[in-house]
Amino acid sequence: MSTQTNAPYWPIVPGAIALAGIMLFIFATFGPPASSSGFVTTLKGFFLEILPEYAGSKEHYRMMPGPGSWLMAFVLGMAIGGFIGGRTFRQKITDVPEAWIQRYGASRTRRYAATFLGGFLILLGARLAGGCTLGLFLSGATQLSISGIYFGIVIFAVSMLTARLVYSSRRDRHD
Amino acid sequence: MIDIWLGLFAGTAFGFVIQRVGATNPHKMALAHLMKERFIPQFMLLVVIFSAIGLVIMQASGIGTTRVLPTSLVATGLGGIIFGIGWGISGYCPGTCWAAVGEGRMDAIFTLLGGLAGTAVFAHFHETLIPLFYSPTNLGQLTLTDWVGHSGVALGLLIILFGIGILLIGRFWRPYGD
Repeated sequence: MSTQTNAPYWPIVPGAIALAGIMLFIFATFGPPASSSGFVTTLKGFFLEILPEYAGSKEHYRMMPGPGSWLMAFVLGMAIGGFIGGRTFRQKITDVPEAWIQRYGASRTRRYAATFLGGFLILLGARLAGGCTLGLFLSGATQLSISGIYFGIVIFAVSMLTARLVYSSRRDRHD
Repeated sequence: MIDIWLGLFAGTAFGFVIQRVGATNPHKMALAHLMKERFIPQFMLLVVIFSAIGLVIMQASGIGTTRVLPTSLVATGLGGIIFGIGWGISGYCPGTCWAAVGEGRMDAIFTLLGGLAGTAVFAHFHETLIPLFYSPTNLGQLTLTDWVGHSGVALGLLIILFGIGILLIGRFWRPYGD
């Protein structure tokens, strides 16, 4: 095994114990944790305000609670936790990751367009499968579910292939 | 109302911990996908091992609510493929992007906006897509326990599988120049 550490981040064993403890707290006080559902509750709240008939006519919004639910509070909490973490962290927070700059340059527009597309795809895929990295893989595999393990294998395999294409250097392609 | 406070508390703790291990850093995630950073994938597998052990103990004491999502051969697989492409491009998941927005990463805000658009498109076509992709190959709420017949054996199997995964990642994921 490589001897390098996860610094400046936490070592992974205590980190994993902490996150598993939070997962179990959620199983005890709510049920299986999920985060892609938070996108549905957010949008449901939006449509209930501007187009209530539309929100009521769509099964995907009917099957989820609206804002004012655990799901919505959880994703807002994630942002608060990330904020506290970021403000008390010694490493600089970047808008465009270094690996991306090395391949595509520092253009923000290009990176933001790519992450918009990436965000579109992760939610489209998650809603079709019924959950995301948390709601389907971590929650599911914790409950020993086949769907969670199956989804986990597929997302790791495909994202590793995609990253190879996205980050392959220009030299590899043309020279 | 208590649900809101529980969700907010759990979310805050969750967001803080994933920030602290580096899961909200898309540079780290890109390197993990390129097999040059072993910590994030090993962390995820470790979390599952610890929480699966804890959940079995909790269930034996009658604590907690579980809900196994069904396995649909086509929808779970196709959803995973679409998800994997987006994850490889952006380096964010539907959960990590909320924490990364809080952390102050501008590209995560665009992931979140793209995610809202993706959700809106799926929700609009739910009535067509679910009968087309999800329902025909829905095998039900399968678990490893259904396959091996005993929850303790199933837990042991999961620990062995994920443990092998952690060892393989330690063996084959190499930093630059290592």
